[in-house]
Amino acid sequence: MKNKAPFILLTPGLILLIVFMFLPLVTIIWPTFYDGKLTFGSYLSFFQDNYNLSVFWRTLRVSLIVTLICILLGVPTAYYIARTSKKWRGLMMAMSLFPLLTNSVIRSFAWINILGTNGVINDFLMKLGIITEPIKMLYTDSAIVVGSVYLFLPLMIITLVGVIENIDLEMVEAAETLGANRLTAFMKVVLPLSLPGIIVGSILVFSGTLSAYTTPQLLGGNQNMMLSTFLYQNAMTLGNWQSAGVIALIMIVTTIIVMKLFNMIAAKFDKRGGEHA
Amino acid sequence: MTYVDLKDIRVSYDGKNNILKDLNLSIEKGELVSLLGPSGCGKTTTLRVIAGLIEPNDGDFVVDNKNLTRVPVHKRNFGMVFQSYALFPHLTVKENVGFGLKLRKEDKTTMNPKIQDILEVTGLAELGDRYPKQLSGGQRQRVALARALVIEPKLLLLDEPLSNLDAKLRVQMRIEIKRIQRKLGITSVFVTHDQEECFSISDRVAVMNNGIIEQFDTPEEIYNRPKTEFVARFIGFENFFNLTKQGEKTYTTSEGHMLKTSQSWDDTKLVATIRPDDINILPKGTEQDTNMIPGKVVVRTFLGKSYQYEVETNVGKILVNGPKETAYSSGEELLLQFPEEKLILV
Amino acid sequence: MRKQRGLSIISMLVFAFLIIPMIIIVVTSFGENPSIQFPIQGFTFDWYLNVFETNSLIQSFFLSIQISMIATILALLVGIPAAYALARYSVKGRDILKSFFLSPAMIPGVVIGYALFQFIVIQFQMPIFQGLLLGHFLISLPYIIRVVGSSLEQLDFSIEEVAWTLGCTRVRAFVKIVLPNIQAGIFASFMLAFINSFNNIPVSQFLSGPGVTALPTSLMNYIEYNYDPTVSALSVLLMVGTVILMYIIEKTLGLASIS
Ligand SMILES: Nc1ncnc2c1ncn2[C@@H]1O[C@H](COP(=O)(O)OP(=O)(O)O)[C@@H](O)[C@H]1O
Ligand SMILES: [Mg+2]
Repeated sequence: MKNKAPFILLTPGLILLIVFMFLPLVTIIWPTFYDGKLTFGSYLSFFQDNYNLSVFWRTLRVSLIVTLICILLGVPTAYYIARTSKKWRGLMMAMSLFPLLTNSVIRSFAWINILGTNGVINDFLMKLGIITEPIKMLYTDSAIVVGSVYLFLPLMIITLVGVIENIDLEMVEAAETLGANRLTAFMKVVLPLSLPGIIVGSILVFSGTLSAYTTPQLLGGNQNMMLSTFLYQNAMTLGNWQSAGVIALIMIVTTIIVMKLFNMIAAKFDKRGGEHA
Repeated sequence: MTYVDLKDIRVSYDGKNNILKDLNLSIEKGELVSLLGPSGCGKTTTLRVIAGLIEPNDGDFVVDNKNLTRVPVHKRNFGMVFQSYALFPHLTVKENVGFGLKLRKEDKTTMNPKIQDILEVTGLAELGDRYPKQLSGGQRQRVALARALVIEPKLLLLDEPLSNLDAKLRVQMRIEIKRIQRKLGITSVFVTHDQEECFSISDRVAVMNNGIIEQFDTPEEIYNRPKTEFVARFIGFENFFNLTKQGEKTYTTSEGHMLKTSQSWDDTKLVATIRPDDINILPKGTEQDTNMIPGKVVVRTFLGKSYQYEVETNVGKILVNGPKETAYSSGEELLLQFPEEKLILV
Repeated sequence: MRKQRGLSIISMLVFAFLIIPMIIIVVTSFGENPSIQFPIQGFTFDWYLNVFETNSLIQSFFLSIQISMIATILALLVGIPAAYALARYSVKGRDILKSFFLSPAMIPGVVIGYALFQFIVIQFQMPIFQGLLLGHFLISLPYIIRVVGSSLEQLDFSIEEVAWTLGCTRVRAFVKIVLPNIQAGIFASFMLAFINSFNNIPVSQFLSGPGVTALPTSLMNYIEYNYDPTVSALSVLLMVGTVILMYIIEKTLGLASIS
């Protein structure tokens, strides 16, 4: 039917998005394909450079490890929260939400204090005489992993609690009456039914780690670049806008591919059929 | 004298399928007309065209000799009651009811008595300061009605207003609606898919099917003389069989049984129908006469106030209700008598 | 509740992992030693005083409040009508439009930041402030679309239609009937968008210049050059702010509304 209302309502947002998001993206990405003629040269040479590759793989590796750790810690914790009494559940949700609402600079700073050369752990171990020299923990890949898990675990937990709360406890009991022990019941009933939540949580954690800037910057330092810090360095320190554009597109494409991949995994394992987020 | 007139209304949501197909309907002033029909036949769509919530693709909508087809909904001054009641959750009963008056810039001195009056008429006088959440289903229904009535609308539109109430309340509320409608003399269109509700409340009934009106008549006329097979089926006729015309009001079945009717039609080939309640059962051996067909009981079921039989005859399976006093068992043979004034041709 | 010892041990460890680093920050903010130490020696409020005497931090704080506030309000003004149109009408390509409106949340923040830096600052030579504002508008918009959108999807639009039949124009019915009934969603989305904008680093990092530096960027710069408990003190103050916001949300909407 002839109705102009939706058009009028959508237009301001569309214009702002096109002018201030879409066009700027084109501005940085177009030159990476075009220097007088259409070319993929920038991308080929990016992936031929060992250093670039090491940054790329580190980003994927760290994101994957962080996601796996978040699943391993998040699922049991979320299950525990979803099954405790209402009073405690509120407190636990608040405790998960609090870090999420706290500035990521503060959260990374917390780990500088803990992992640094004069940090809590080295201090403690030296006082006990277990070590004589401080161990290098800060400015390593592991520091990025720990910091990112710290950043994104709450997100996984909160996503999962929502899903697990909706699983009928009677189903677990039914499984137990059928002879499953508690662990089997958990593995065979709760886990498969939480899968959609795990997938959504994993997408959030993976893409979050992949594009996080603060953690690699503060905990990884200059030796352990991830794509986001690498982009910043190319754009702002080195003034290499061509490379920055290349990295930008690689980040976007990787994010999209990862999401599609996770959704495919979900579709494969989810026997109930249906789409995921 | 026609007050509301829908002329050749055509509506299509997707530009391909017509949901209303050149629908015509004329309503007189002060009348309560029902739109009756199965779900999906276009009742709500018709009502929304009247309300101005949908602009028809074709056709005209006239009220009181004024063409309103292109007049936007907020300028029509019709009251509408939705199936979900659509009460404003953030406003009290009084504020809900006063909402339309406030828009009409009425001042407090005329507005408050009007609100009070309508709350009394609808039995809500004590509940003015409650919020919709604090009301029962029946009370919400009344608020929706009061809100629609207080603006003194030219037309009252009700879309299945009783379908969310339990059975007892539904009967109570439909009497209430009828009473208020009579009292205020307001022309009303009432949408329902429940025939009992519809017959009890309406001055006239429009039976709809698939985007058209199949029959528009008084409830009695529709109940006794359905004009089409669809209408007959919809209002509880069960047994349908073919007849061939032999003479004035005289027909034969495919097997040659003679049937007389009180209706007279010109077509030579017709379908006859009759309600299970209207067939008389005669024991086997009664002398064969016109309007009688022999048959054999296939299944007997107990309905409480009567028995129902499925009887195998040579015009097909016939459903018959028989008195509790005599029970025929399955396999038993009997004669079915079709009273001529009860046999309907469609 | 039956005992599930394995589960509770893991969960307690997880919560310890989440909370202890924050506690360490709180404790170190009171230490007398000018380099961060744990456990602390002595007890002082000096670092808190220092926060208020560090101009760059205070200035950034107010800038961040200003940017996040304006950006979020702009996102509400643009986002609510769009969310309404997407929920209310069966517009062609509705899913694609919705994805487009949500897309700033899918694109890595550094990419948005860098693209805006190139476009606004380099190409059009506009002031950084505008760039920062637009960047924060972009990252706020998806929160509005998602949260307000889901309140609108739960709304029974017949209340709006009834208002029309009672004589309301479209705009008036929207203001008087629709808006009051999605209040909670609007408030929740405002809170979420504001907090996330206030905390955002990647976008702000590219759009910072003399006198125009968002608080997290300032904080980051500060950490890189001075490693002293002033950062701890400021962190504690911000955490107190977070707790206050969480308390407000819990009392008004319930925390569940934003998780
Ligand atoms: N907004 C709409 N868009 C597309 N099709 C619709 C819409 N509303 C109703 N229809 C279709 O129109 C037909 C008639 O619907 P409706 O008037 O609501 O029927 P009723 O009220 O008699 O149940 C149905 O087939 C329905 O699916
Ligand atoms: Mg309907």
